[in-house]
Amino acid sequence: MAKPAEEKADNLTIEKDVGQGLPPILDDDSFGNGNRSNGGDSDRPINSAVLAMLLFIGAEVMFFAGIIGAFIVLRFGANDWPPPGQPRLPVVVTGINTAILLLSGLTMFKTKRLLKDWHREKILHGLTITALLGALFLAVQGFEWTRLLGFGFTLSSNIYGTVFYTLIGCHALHVLGAVIWLTIVASRLRMNSPAYSANNHVGIKLSGMYWYLVVALWPVLYGLVYFN
Amino acid sequence: MSEAAAVKDTPIEHAHQGFLKTYIFSTDHKMIAKQFLLLGLVMLMLGGGLVMLLRWQLAYPDKPLPLIGISETYMETGETETAMDRYWDEQFSKPEKEQSWIATRMPAGVISPNFYNTLFTMHATIMIFFVVMPILVGCFGNFLIPLMIGTRDMAFPVLNMLSFWVAVVSGVIILIGFFVPGGHAATGWTAYPPLSADPTWTGVDWGQNLWCFSLIFLGISSMMGSINYITTIINMRAPGMTFMRLPLTIWSLFIVAILLLLALPVLTSALAMLLFDRMAGTSFFNASGGGDPLLWQHLFWFFGHPEVYVLILPAMGIGSEILSVFSRKPIFGYHAMVYAMVSIAGLGWIVWGHHMFQSGMNPALGTTFMISTMVIAVPSAIKTFNWLGTLWGGNIQFTVPMLNALAFVSMFVIGGLSGIYMASTPVDIFIHDTYYIVAHIHYVVFGGSLFGIFAAITFWFPKMFGRMLGSKLGKIHFWITFAAFNCTFFPMHILGVGGHMRRIANPLQYEFLQQFEGLNIFITMSAFTLGMAQLIFIFNVFYSMFKGKKAEDNPWKANTVEWTAATPPPHGNFAEIPTIYHGPYEYNAPGIDEDYLPQTSQATIATDGNGKQ
Amino acid sequence: MLDWLPPSISTVGGEIDKFFYVIYYITTVVFFLVAGTMIYFLIRYRYKEGREVKYTHGNTTLEIIWTVVTLVALIVLALVSKPLWSKIKQELPPSSTVVQVTGKQFNWEILYPGPDGMFGTEDDYQIDNLLHVPVNQVVHIKLKALDVIHSFFVPVLRLKQDALPGREIMMWFEANKPGEYEIPCAELCGFGHSGMLGKLIVHSAEDYDAWVKSTWPEN
Repeated sequence: MAKPAEEKADNLTIEKDVGQGLPPILDDDSFGNGNRSNGGDSDRPINSAVLAMLLFIGAEVMFFAGIIGAFIVLRFGANDWPPPGQPRLPVVVTGINTAILLLSGLTMFKTKRLLKDWHREKILHGLTITALLGALFLAVQGFEWTRLLGFGFTLSSNIYGTVFYTLIGCHALHVLGAVIWLTIVASRLRMNSPAYSANNHVGIKLSGMYWYLVVALWPVLYGLVYFN
Repeated sequence: MSEAAAVKDTPIEHAHQGFLKTYIFSTDHKMIAKQFLLLGLVMLMLGGGLVMLLRWQLAYPDKPLPLIGISETYMETGETETAMDRYWDEQFSKPEKEQSWIATRMPAGVISPNFYNTLFTMHATIMIFFVVMPILVGCFGNFLIPLMIGTRDMAFPVLNMLSFWVAVVSGVIILIGFFVPGGHAATGWTAYPPLSADPTWTGVDWGQNLWCFSLIFLGISSMMGSINYITTIINMRAPGMTFMRLPLTIWSLFIVAILLLLALPVLTSALAMLLFDRMAGTSFFNASGGGDPLLWQHLFWFFGHPEVYVLILPAMGIGSEILSVFSRKPIFGYHAMVYAMVSIAGLGWIVWGHHMFQSGMNPALGTTFMISTMVIAVPSAIKTFNWLGTLWGGNIQFTVPMLNALAFVSMFVIGGLSGIYMASTPVDIFIHDTYYIVAHIHYVVFGGSLFGIFAAITFWFPKMFGRMLGSKLGKIHFWITFAAFNCTFFPMHILGVGGHMRRIANPLQYEFLQQFEGLNIFITMSAFTLGMAQLIFIFNVFYSMFKGKKAEDNPWKANTVEWTAATPPPHGNFAEIPTIYHGPYEYNAPGIDEDYLPQTSQATIATDGNGKQ
Repeated sequence: MLDWLPPSISTVGGEIDKFFYVIYYITTVVFFLVAGTMIYFLIRYRYKEGREVKYTHGNTTLEIIWTVVTLVALIVLALVSKPLWSKIKQELPPSSTVVQVTGKQFNWEILYPGPDGMFGTEDDYQIDNLLHVPVNQVVHIKLKALDVIHSFFVPVLRLKQDALPGREIMMWFEANKPGEYEIPCAELCGFGHSGMLGKLIVHSAEDYDAWVKSTWPEN
């Protein structure tokens, strides 16, 4: 990832825009992408905000690795799985819901492709649809949860309920966060916020990256938790 | 961002930002570094204070503490003799609910068993999470990364500020825990469930919950810091500062940031599960509810082992830096040093099981973990040999930072060698959970990390505060600390060999430990000396901060970029972003008049016939 | 330093101690080599105005040598440790004496199956903190925990094993010297952890028979 930077620095002609620009702290980029001030490396291999987002996603993946690891230990340590007398998890409905979330991943993918040429209206449209699909996913999940809770299947009813609500709940919280983020991005875009422009749309890109995370996590969790 | 426009043309002027922005909610990496340092030093005194109480109990089990305890006369005759006697008399006449904080934890000045458990739990928690991490990673990561790679600040200054303040929130939560009913967490810093998962087993309710919350917040703080460090190091190096020209300190901090970023979320997930077990009635770790107590240990040590390297790697980087500077010689095997650290970062993920040999984990796994553990000892050995190589043929100056760095190397050698005993599974059966382990971790974390911290503070003090740290007091502090440290922790190996369990409040309850009473008293006296000696250091730091001799820009004649900045560096660090022409350790290079060669110097090193420098 | 080891009274204790000694000698030699070299360098190359400094960035051959040597030494150490570990923790030599030990806050609950050799029958004999075993015979311990994690530690047997709630861990030992020994708990188990202490009583063959007779008189 950093390899090209290294080569670049090696071949650098020394006098090139050294010390120009202003301290990154005072740069007007809200994502702290102050690298331009630091020797004219606007052409560095990766945007700082994007890199930071990748790192954050790495941390999130490790968090999920922790709870998925816990699930695996408990699931395969149990004699009966699921324990007898438990309600069946809604495999089909959730399957359809999975399709909805995957579709939102696709719409996000298409939206991000529009960023380069800055079709503002189309981007706004794409973000809105993605957020709505996410919200639909959450609504279906919530509906299924209330049904399960109606059967007396709760977080603390037994280990099956515990891992189900923890894993699926954690993911749902992340989807909720991502939907809120997308909504904020979309409404700022709608209001023509100066934060986003043809030259600077890293904020939209970041929300898209995060959206990919929550979409990509879901099939793994669905496969693990819903199929015994 | 109108402010940005205003100062666009005067990058240095903006140092005047008012008190709040300069000292409290500063986004300047150097101020944040100092804030972390202050946090760490305050917590160091607290963590050290706790262990003084603990050592008293081990040397004189169930005897009243001096000064605050009841007098012998009172014990024997029931007559009040001292002011404290009257105090205790008054306390005992009250119902338990109304007794003072101290009376519920140390009735009559005798440390209660539960409070003893709290003492070692909080000693470890505070020292690891609120002393070593804030100082080595928080303070020196913040201070050194932008200065050493030649940039003006971190990639995300606001995130940086948040990282500090979240750490403060975490620190405040952990302090509140001391004052909640039921007392603070008392299950060891490892908090093994089911003991930690159900308040009925310890009687501790909110203390343990706050402990969990505090560490979750600390995890968030560390994550923000790590993201910042990694991004800054990858993206903001000055022109010419290639990865293989980075000072080893920066390499170590880079690797530490990666470890923290990936390890702490696993702890966070485990803490969340523990909180669910405690507060929502789940049973992740409760066997009767279908859970598994070993699950916690797996998750905890999966985080915990990388964490151990988080504590020692920065000290390794700092040690390398200082050894090279004061040997006036390039570091021996720079590349080997880097690869050693990288391999530690990789191997650190597959050795966690060596904490669990006796835990009931499948013994077949024990062998696997034993082999991976033996392998991870190799990079540390490589580093040690390279440090020796650095000293060989040098011109060694015994400054205060150098003394501390040398102590770091030699103590780390002992800590590393004692680790081999535990890695060997059959021997571990006996020494697991004994004082042998306590000796080992203290040789690594005190002998390694803390001497690293002393070395770092004394080395970079002039750059941080613009004044020299008093070297006479520095030497006094060093020699007392070095002697008292060894007197405190070396005998713990003997206790361990004798089978002395860790975390017991009263060794005299056991027949086979009677013989160690004298040794325990000796350790306690040494520990008191060690604790007192740190007051010298604290005094020296604060005295020199205001009254020390003014420092030059480069008092040690070192090569790395931070020494080319003004002392102390202004907001924005450099008048001009430097350009880098050399590696960080070109001391006494051929063809150079001075015995050092700043990384920013354009002079060229004479090469020999082989084209090698 | 190893004089401080408690006496060993088990068949495997001596073997563990042997490893202890081997590692002790190796690490001591390594330590004195490293520390000696360091002190020699510090004295030999102490600061002198105008001293000629060896300008070198390292030596690849040297790096390879010390990497390979340490790696091989440590791997060999791991491999030779393995058989003993397996013998103690993975194998279970046959035995006619099985005792169930349950850790609970803050006692060891000892349960004998009685003459019928089965747990859960009427002739079970339960007692806190007293573990009677015959000398020179393999004894099986079925280790359990009632509430939190405890650790069954018998220093003289060089034996330690955590007791986990929800699991049964089988382990074995063979004591070869009669006497009374302590069984502390080695894993923090609460405020009474310090002082959680059982007693291992190793009987000679005759004494053990006498104890069995007095405990189950009707047989």
